[in-house]
Amino acid sequence: PAEPEWPHEGGFHILEHLSEPTHRNLEPVGPHYLAHARRKRHHRTFSEDDRI
Amino acid sequence: MSDSEEPQQKTVIGIAFGNSNSSIAFTSPDGKAEVIANEEGDRQIPSVLSYVGDEEYHGAQAKSHLIRNPKNTIAYFRDFLGKSFADIDPTNAHSSAHPIQHESGVAFSVEEKTDGEPSTLTVSEITTRHIKRLQESASDFLGKKIDGCVITVPTDFSEAQRRLLAEASKASGLEVLQVIQEPVASLLAYTAREETSHPADKTVLVLDIGGTRTDAAVIASRGGMFTLLATQHDYELGGRQFDDALIDHFSKEFIKKHKTDPRENERSLAKLRLECEATKKTLSLSTSAQISIESLAGGFDFHSTVNRLRFDLLSKKLVDQIVGLVESVVKKAGMDLSDINEVILAGGTSHTPKIASRIQQLFPSTTAVQAPATNPNALNPSELSARGAAIQASLIAEFEAEDIEQSTHPAVTVTPHLAKPIGVVIHSPEGDEGKAEDKVYVFLDAETAVPARRTATFVGTNVGGDVLIRIVEAKKESVDVTPPKEVKEKTADEDDEDDDDDDDDDEEEEEEKVIKRVTEVEKVIAEALLKDVKKGQKVEVMLNVAGDLTLTITARVVGGKGGIRGTVPGRAQ
Repeated sequence: PAEPEWPHEGGFHILEHLSEPTHRNLEPVGPHYLAHARRKRHHRTFSEDDRI
Repeated sequence: MSDSEEPQQKTVIGIAFGNSNSSIAFTSPDGKAEVIANEEGDRQIPSVLSYVGDEEYHGAQAKSHLIRNPKNTIAYFRDFLGKSFADIDPTNAHSSAHPIQHESGVAFSVEEKTDGEPSTLTVSEITTRHIKRLQESASDFLGKKIDGCVITVPTDFSEAQRRLLAEASKASGLEVLQVIQEPVASLLAYTAREETSHPADKTVLVLDIGGTRTDAAVIASRGGMFTLLATQHDYELGGRQFDDALIDHFSKEFIKKHKTDPRENERSLAKLRLECEATKKTLSLSTSAQISIESLAGGFDFHSTVNRLRFDLLSKKLVDQIVGLVESVVKKAGMDLSDINEVILAGGTSHTPKIASRIQQLFPSTTAVQAPATNPNALNPSELSARGAAIQASLIAEFEAEDIEQSTHPAVTVTPHLAKPIGVVIHSPEGDEGKAEDKVYVFLDAETAVPARRTATFVGTNVGGDVLIRIVEAKKESVDVTPPKEVKEKTADEDDEDDDDDDDDDEEEEEEKVIKRVTEVEKVIAEALLKDVKKGQKVEVMLNVAGDLTLTITARVVGGKGGIRGTVPGRAQ
């Protein structure tokens, strides 16, 4: 069987950017929101938060 | 403060404050939310206060005073909070104390003392007294002083109304930790029940059919976080209209027998209204119900029965109206009925079996309808708001007021949400068929708040070789999947008759169209090549979208070393 065609260097190739997001209001309710707010207020990423 | 050595545990409750009924709930030490009954044994406590002599009556007791003492009984006052007299609709308060104009907005004039001097009570003051009674019931039940509460309000409550409510509660001695929205509380009551740390991504419609109004909301639930996409309200549709249908039915029966209309006398009507509500509730549980009122009108007693079928017929128009509201709110959210994964029926009127079955028929069979009539594991629709509020109260009980203030601030709640679903399409070497090829696997649905990340595992290839992973933005489309003609010809016998009446073939075809929602590739964002994947090995893909829309993909063979990682920078950079 033929391999997929891959004329690019390395294993990764960018074609486009993500579409502009819409700004909406999250409901400040529930455990997952509170975790989100905590990360946002302390400027932490997911992996940093996981370690704590 | 406390003389014990233990860390001070705060006692917090959730309050659902309704126009017709209110309820209180707490979260037990094992994390389950439970609704508290007041001293009369009611879990749905009527939002009614009544004054007789020097006594104040509350809840069901006050509600029964609507018959003998309507002028000193205050009901349906929540929606008047923070409104000007000109803006309120006093219809529901017609059979109790009438709202009057006051410098603060709306007030009531009642005799609350035996001396007969009427006093003017503002809506805020009534709210304070009502919350005080609720708080006392909770405190008696739990045997502890209540330190704080979370209260639910409808989504159309203004900031000023929320603030007034918090002040009214504080005046009763009960600190409001947070005011949250009713549909969100109902959704939380359900999601908190799922025993997983990663709740499924889904789009939920919460339909709250109350006593005097019906509210519908479409909510995106993504990674356990909720975003309201659309809301709609009907202020003339609720349990009262269902009661009216029964009132009219029984009145006609009474007129036939006794030539007197019980609706023409205020007291007779109040009696009939109270009993019809009870009859309606019975019809939600059994297929027939009795009604029995002593000395209804003209000195005549009234006894009758009604079955559920008759009630469904009487209320058909109202159920149609509910269906119309649902269709309208889904459209407002820019969605199709088939995009709704779950419908949560909330509010007392949601006990009506016919409503649940009509909603179930409206949606595809894959949509879960959470109501007692359609799902035996559904929660009690009347208790959802209070449970959600109790859960939220227990989550923030130990927070400082400043922490809550900061966490609920718009700077934190206003968040970018993905405009399009993001997924991957996995292509593997030729000749490798019968897999996920060319199908979009959606990782992050539209309306997901960022930052967000999701991980999924695929069978990479059935023959071995390189695996091409395309990260794409997708779109959902309605596609005509009407079965081809030849399939239809099998039912030609049935069609024959139709053809005679109806010569226009095209029109007939249109009626039989089957529309399916499918996910298709809109644009390819990036490609990643994972080399030398052996036959049958699993590939794990993780997508992470940061707050600035930077997308990172990590793909590796499960159990293998290395793998690939790539980053698409956000536009801002």
